[in-house]
Amino acid sequence: MGRIRIICKKRCFSFSFLLRIVMIISLILAIWKRDWVWVVGTFIGLFISILPSILKKDVKFTLPWVLDFLIALVTILHMGGRLLDFYYTIENYHLITRFFISLLVAFIGLAMIYILDEHWDGLRMDKYAMAFVTVIFTMAVGVILEFVKWINVTGTYYIKTNTVLMLNLSLDTIAGIFIAIIGVSLIKSGKFEIMTDEFGNQIDRIVIDQLEKRTKEKK
Amino acid sequence: MKKTSLKIGGVILSYILKIIMIIFLIISIWKLHWIWIFGCILALIVSFIPTILKRNYQITLPLILDILITIALILHVGGGLLGAYGISHYDTLTHFVSSFLIAFIAFVIIYILDEYWDGLKMDKYAMAFVVIITTIAIGVIWEFNEWITDIIFGTQEQWGYNDTIKDLFIDMVAGIIMAFIGVTMIKRGSFDELTEDLGEQIDKKIIKKRMRKNNGQD
Repeated sequence: MGRIRIICKKRCFSFSFLLRIVMIISLILAIWKRDWVWVVGTFIGLFISILPSILKKDVKFTLPWVLDFLIALVTILHMGGRLLDFYYTIENYHLITRFFISLLVAFIGLAMIYILDEHWDGLRMDKYAMAFVTVIFTMAVGVILEFVKWINVTGTYYIKTNTVLMLNLSLDTIAGIFIAIIGVSLIKSGKFEIMTDEFGNQIDRIVIDQLEKRTKEKK
Repeated sequence: MKKTSLKIGGVILSYILKIIMIIFLIISIWKLHWIWIFGCILALIVSFIPTILKRNYQITLPLILDILITIALILHVGGGLLGAYGISHYDTLTHFVSSFLIAFIAFVIIYILDEYWDGLKMDKYAMAFVVIITTIAIGVIWEFNEWITDIIFGTQEQWGYNDTIKDLFIDMVAGIIMAFIGVTMIKRGSFDELTEDLGEQIDKKIIKKRMRKNNGQD
């Protein structure tokens, strides 16, 4: 492991850790304000952001640090918008949040495709095909997100206009293209493999363990 | 025997649909609806693309694709010319047919790439998933097209938030239905039969081009 990578990894980890502290403060603030909806919201956000660490300890998972960082950042942005009213006080705040959510979705999409390509016999894909699927995956997830907003099960207030809908979908597309371009250059340089190798190997190991267990049970 | 009669039936249906299109052209000339005269001519050219490809370039598109293209065009042109867009849910029907056509084309392309290109090897369920997200994504691009057209030309292609959501939902449903049909067809082996000619023709063309390149280099 290179020296620069170790420093970067440590810094990013500590930044991600800092983001979690801010989230805990947000949770305390929500309780203090007796805003119970946002207490639940912040708690879920915090849970999602520490999920990689929980998985790491219990199931021996290590998520790529970028993913860990993006989950924490997106949750912070969303909770900040709800709790501190940034969605209403800062112009286009919801668009910024949406863009980072789409970046996260696109990264998850690309990582999934790459890991499946490397560790599953059911998929072999050229890197440009991967980039294409990443873009359309981000766009499709964006549409599903809009369906959820439209159904509005939680009764949360969302801005429901055609312009906002189209802007959101545009941001999904841009984020997808952005991650696809970065992803292809990372794959070319071999950095994407380093980023996801550990995670992919762990999935491989879990699958192999399960298969071995099944075979033993059959015997 | 059964396959041959099905094929003949398909060809007859394809020609009947094209005759309907010609009737639409005559009606639009008779009514002097210039926009639909232009629309009918354009639609006729598009519907004859499979025939042109077969005759001039020896590329045989699946017959079902030919029929789907013609049905989608007839529904759109007929809707505009005969005022059928006023019928409730007619717009939903045309949108569904177009999305289904897109999903079918996506499935054919992915299947052929999977069979004839080294850069892609996919499990049938992964194919189904990619077809669904492709149909949704193309639906989004279509909505972008309408949105931008409305901004630039002041038209009213998009009828509002709920209508856009409904269109996107129809795209998704069409993608899911095609994905189900596609997977079932692959399991039965009928998708292979459907695309075999086209795949082999593309393969031959690529090999020919490579050989020409190699000869040129020598």
